[in-house]
Amino acid sequence: MALSLPTQCPHTVNPLRRSPKPALLRRLNHRVCVVSAATPLLQVNDLKAKIVESNVEILHGVNLTVNQGEVHAIMGKNGSGKSTFAKVLVGHPDYEVTGGSVVFKGENLLEMEPEERSLAGLFMSFQSPVEIPGVSNDEFLVMAYNARRKKLGLPELGPLECFSYLMEKLQLVNMKPDFLNRNVNEGFSGGERKRNEILQLAVLGADLAILDEIDSGLDVDALRDVANAVNQILTPENSLLMITHYRRILDLLNPTHVHVMDKGKIARTGDLSMVEAIEAEGYETVSSLT
Amino acid sequence: MSLSGTALWPLGLCPLIPCSWSYGRGRGRGRGRCRGSASSDPYVLELAESLEDSLPSSPSPLRNLRMASSEALLSTPWPSRREEPFRFTDLSFIRNSRIHPVSHPYPVTLLTPLSDLPHPLYVGPLSALSSPSLIHQVSQFLSSSAPHHADLFWSINGFAAPDLTLVYVPQGTHLDNPIHLAYHPSHASDTMHLSNPRVLVILEKGARLHIIEDFSANHNHSYWTNAAFEALIGEAAHLTHSYIQSQSLSAAHIKWTSVRQESSSTYQLTEVSTGAKLGRHNLHIQQLGPDTVTDLSTLHLSVGDQTQDLHSTLVLDHPRGYSRQLHKCIVAHSQGQAVFDGNIQVNRYAQQTDAGQLTRSLLLQPRATVNVKPNLQIVAHDVKCSHGAAISDLEENQLLYFQARGIDKNTARRLLIFAFGGEVIDKFPCSSIRDTVRTQITNLLDPSSV
Repeated sequence: MALSLPTQCPHTVNPLRRSPKPALLRRLNHRVCVVSAATPLLQVNDLKAKIVESNVEILHGVNLTVNQGEVHAIMGKNGSGKSTFAKVLVGHPDYEVTGGSVVFKGENLLEMEPEERSLAGLFMSFQSPVEIPGVSNDEFLVMAYNARRKKLGLPELGPLECFSYLMEKLQLVNMKPDFLNRNVNEGFSGGERKRNEILQLAVLGADLAILDEIDSGLDVDALRDVANAVNQILTPENSLLMITHYRRILDLLNPTHVHVMDKGKIARTGDLSMVEAIEAEGYETVSSLT
Repeated sequence: MSLSGTALWPLGLCPLIPCSWSYGRGRGRGRGRCRGSASSDPYVLELAESLEDSLPSSPSPLRNLRMASSEALLSTPWPSRREEPFRFTDLSFIRNSRIHPVSHPYPVTLLTPLSDLPHPLYVGPLSALSSPSLIHQVSQFLSSSAPHHADLFWSINGFAAPDLTLVYVPQGTHLDNPIHLAYHPSHASDTMHLSNPRVLVILEKGARLHIIEDFSANHNHSYWTNAAFEALIGEAAHLTHSYIQSQSLSAAHIKWTSVRQESSSTYQLTEVSTGAKLGRHNLHIQQLGPDTVTDLSTLHLSVGDQTQDLHSTLVLDHPRGYSRQLHKCIVAHSQGQAVFDGNIQVNRYAQQTDAGQLTRSLLLQPRATVNVKPNLQIVAHDVKCSHGAAISDLEENQLLYFQARGIDKNTARRLLIFAFGGEVIDKFPCSSIRDTVRTQITNLLDPSSV
């Protein structure tokens, strides 16, 4: 499976994903899921990881398979290991894998450097994106976009050649052009940071996008913008893994699978109906059911 | 004693008695020459002699300066690490070299075409100046201009500067194009050539000037540049000063910048120093009247076994002064070192001063060293002053952010280092200088890209 670049307008968007009717969507997602069930994108097997500095093990054997075209959500209590799981997948140096395996597009993900994972088609939106003073947003995007083009054997583009492409993506997240001139995340509001993460996803494209609490700290309008953008970026070929505490984004993005994480493991897997049970009875009850 | 190339007396013959020092061109051993003094350092005496031998007949206005400097020179020993100003700066590199003072050719060249300069503005050697009144003014200034903390190197320059480059901008004159001074060191393979370029800038009331001092070198020769730059900024005048030091990594570069600011004047300095094995900048700014603006931005980079040192003093004695100082250091080598001693004095009458100082250092290798001593001395009570110091490596979080978007770690590091230095580089008013400096730094950080 080759990494694809979203080089044009969101032409490959599945329009049905943007349908306002959740019931229909759920069924269609299900269909997509059935079609692509044979193509595993990410296979996580008994993954164990610890914090390097304190030697504390956080992940105690995570098992998860994400197939092409699926939309997964991971929920769970604070401290259950959701974000750690996401960070381990992108190769965060604060964590060390102590056991298990992760195969992404048929390759051993754990042997790759973080930038190789990105170039292989794995994207993670950071929960708290770091400020980078002195580096402008457009400079950063052009550099990252060119790194991807280079990987694909395409010629690198100058800033001017990238401009119209960036402008188009900017509209997707509903931001003004001056957003590009500002330094990466410097002085950004919480909402601007999240939009910036989605902008990066739109520019770079991904086979698997991991959205770590992309909805936290967003107001209703911003959440809708972000969800709309994600829906437009999604195609039947790529997949989404989101980590969230809230139902609202689940209703907007319609996961095909919902997992509950507890004590460093996936404790339970179901569909959207499980979210209702969580809201009614809490994580403890839901994760103890097997 | 390594100053063998030019020593005229065996040390044992140097009479250790208080003496008078002749600043003229006395020829012949012993006649009209230094007799030493009880407190002086034999090494310095020897150096002084070789300096004197190197001097051409000087223009008379320098005579007062030379006289004042000779006295100071003979009573000042070679600085030791036990003295606070040199506590972290090891001068043995100079001391262990064979020094050979040279005064010809004069190392300063003017790159700005003279035809562009309006009359009666003067840019050129003092020796070629014909206006008696201006000569008198310069002579008066030079004999009284030594900064309070002047050290041995100031005296060496004052004594041995063969000429002086004068930039005189009369009242109300605005110069649109910068005055660009290039410094060319002379070098030899077996000795360390010492040159003493000296520049004096006089801006009269309301004048405006941008001056560029460019100390560059393409070769890896060993030499010692001991430069002095003085400026007198008249009332409401405006001096922008760009200073680029990219000399040979086998060279010593010692520089004094001494600036006096009259009321409502502005002084803006942007410095990027990346060259020399030993680089030392002594920056002294004295406020002579109220409402002055002083803006200092400096970037020091050590990519090898190098010391980059900034010792700055800003003395505020009058009300409503405004000053900002930003000093950044990057040490990218395990034997590299950066030193910063930044002193700001807000004295009794300097009420309503607004003074800010910030120093940030990046240490990119294990054992890379930085010694910073930011210090504010505040006597006035109605003032707004701040200072801060930060020392760190690049942040892992920032590096990961680049990597997570497919940009490799080395590229990310380089970009982050650039972003760190960019804050200073962006302050150069000329885009050509910004580009030159960026290219220099790119080449220094990544020699393979040359």
